[in-house]
Amino acid sequence: MEENEQDLALSRRAASGDQAAFSMLVEKYERPLRSFLARAVGPDSADDIAQDAFLKAWRAAGQYDGRARYSTWLTRIAWRCGLDRLRSERTAQAPEEPESASPAALEVDDMLARLTDGERAALVLCDGHGWTHAEAAELLSLPLGTVKSTIARAKAKCRKMWEGADHG
Amino acid sequence: MADAFDDWFASSLGPPERLPDRRFVSAVQAHIALDEQLALEDRALIARLVSQLAALVAVAAALWLVGRAAPVAERLAESPSIGMLILLAAFGFVVVVFSTGGRSPDAAIGMD
Repeated sequence: MEENEQDLALSRRAASGDQAAFSMLVEKYERPLRSFLARAVGPDSADDIAQDAFLKAWRAAGQYDGRARYSTWLTRIAWRCGLDRLRSERTAQAPEEPESASPAALEVDDMLARLTDGERAALVLCDGHGWTHAEAAELLSLPLGTVKSTIARAKAKCRKMWEGADHG
Repeated sequence: MADAFDDWFASSLGPPERLPDRRFVSAVQAHIALDEQLALEDRALIARLVSQLAALVAVAAALWLVGRAAPVAERLAESPSIGMLILLAAFGFVVVVFSTGGRSPDAAIGMD
């Protein structure tokens, strides 16, 4: 049975109230989802957002129709939760400029912190999680060409920072 | 062509290799169980409100029908105070019924 069909079957069982079936989906997707959120939104709120996303996915289980991958559908829910969190955090506190880290200490999180929300999400999904550009475009509600140029620009920025940190 | 940066970047951005986090899965299960319980309570509350509203409408309709019957209408026209008394009694009855809600009769009179 194809992965999508398995996930669709589990999601349908979840829609009829089968919590064990939904737990199998949580077990399967918590690792990539939490990893994506930790990079795209930040490690402090990643688990809270992932929990919210799974709760929303449970409530909306009947709406998953199997056309997209379950991970795409779930990540879209999580990304909306993440954006809401980012917006509320930014209105609650003054925007924080990333510190100008010393080149040697420059890690991937420091690089990602210097990108926009959309650049960060697209880059993590396509370069880290193996998503296609089309899937990322759907998630971000952007044209395919825009996503491709966004990823290229973001990656070029990161490469420049990496080279500036004595790696080049 | 992939260079050192591409390799480092892809490996840094990818999800870590590990087994499923049972604690996280349990936390999600607990979250869902709580959500289900709250939804159940909400549904019960709405059902109770609907039934109380239906009871109120039924009592009002019954009073209106009784009040329209010729002998009763004549009697009420002669002494409106009796009509007011009946209305007050009906209102009091409805208040008592609604305030006891879904509780047991013992709970309603403070026995439990």
